[in-house]
Amino acid sequence: MMKRILSFAAVFFCLVFCLCGCAEDEGFPAATEEFFVNDFADVLSNEAETEILSRAAAVYKATTAQIVTVTIESLDGMEPYEYALELGREWGVGDEEEDNGVVILLSENDREIYIAVGYGLEGALPDSKTGRIIDLYGLEYLKQDDFSNGLNSINKAVINEVYLEYGLETEEGYTSIDNLYQSQSISGQSNKVIISWIILVILFIIFSGFSRRRGGFFFFPMHFGSSGNYRGGSGFGGGSGFGGSSGGFRGGGGSFGGGGAGRGF
Amino acid sequence: MKKKGLIIIIAIVAVIVIAIGSVVGSYNGLVEKQQEVETSWSQISVYLQSRADKIPNLVNTVKGYTDYEQSTLTAVTEARSAVSKASGVNEQIEASNQLDSAVDIWVNAVTEAYPELKADTQFTALIDELTGSENRIATARKDYNEAAKEFNTKIKRFPTNLLAGMFGFEAYDYFEADSSAQSVPNVSFD
Repeated sequence: MMKRILSFAAVFFCLVFCLCGCAEDEGFPAATEEFFVNDFADVLSNEAETEILSRAAAVYKATTAQIVTVTIESLDGMEPYEYALELGREWGVGDEEEDNGVVILLSENDREIYIAVGYGLEGALPDSKTGRIIDLYGLEYLKQDDFSNGLNSINKAVINEVYLEYGLETEEGYTSIDNLYQSQSISGQSNKVIISWIILVILFIIFSGFSRRRGGFFFFPMHFGSSGNYRGGSGFGGGSGFGGSSGGFRGGGGSFGGGGAGRGF
Repeated sequence: MKKKGLIIIIAIVAVIVIAIGSVVGSYNGLVEKQQEVETSWSQISVYLQSRADKIPNLVNTVKGYTDYEQSTLTAVTEARSAVSKASGVNEQIEASNQLDSAVDIWVNAVTEAYPELKADTQFTALIDELTGSENRIATARKDYNEAAKEFNTKIKRFPTNLLAGMFGFEAYDYFEADSSAQSVPNVSFD
């Protein structure tokens, strides 16, 4: 009897330890209260921050997509894609079910920009289009150290492409990048992409039957043991009232799989 | 006296139920974890193939430019067909590594010979797609390693190790940090 109780207790403690042991911290900064704009490198003007924030809040309200803009001083030796992806996973950018998050990351000292696209938006923002957005809307500004205009116009393009994906009206005066640039018609490739998506979806349906984890691990590899509270309150701009937005935002638990594109500038 | 016996029987039954419950629970937990590892493994394969499928488009784009470095291209074509013929993920990974370095060499040769390619939007788009594939593969590998690590830890830990031994769960291998697998065609867009 005693033995049983002991081994039951052992199982319990093993579970507790397992949960604790998995919550690794990669040392990313905590998201600000504004969540959609995190100017850690302090390179954005107040106007740009306000504009980015209100645009991102609007698209979030309309679609649940979370478009997060982050500036940092250094990548600390990580690859740009890796940093943006891990940060997006840690903050849970995007809705948990839809994985419709985007992280627009700029590192000031590395002079790198990378846009990481969550699983759910890879159709709206394939890597080639994402790269094209940077080339068309951001690169010229960024090369001249005009980070405010560069990130603002990249943010605008990304968000309007998201509106289009959800079948909504774009902001006034925005022309879709597809109309500016027609070479997306690489036919064989898009067919294969569709087929592999179908296969993935079927696999997902099959395997989600085995999995009791919410959302199913396979398709939405959640950051193990992440606590679900992404607010953190790091003190950046706490209560500074950008754009009069009501309260803070936080990540919805979305995940990323390596989609996106980046440039040095 | 009778009452006491009943209590003991109830207690024994309760303990047995709890014990069976926890065995079933941790067995299911193991199976679930194993499934995670298996699916992240097969995801790698999907991404590897999808990258290999992008190569012909890249080659076609560059065909507009005369010569397009025939000698280095042959290596790319050969490596690509090796990926398609590979059986099993391990073989596929090996072939993909070869393809990686072949593409790398070819792209560098081509862009050196035809710098104007870097301004070609279609070429840029394909390089972006290719780089994206690389990143997806690297991420899938990392996710696999993480899932495998969790599973392996679980089957080594008491008391699940008893269960793992009983049902013959075996540890998964990890990916070595292979630098060649992470190499990306190095095109800068200055």
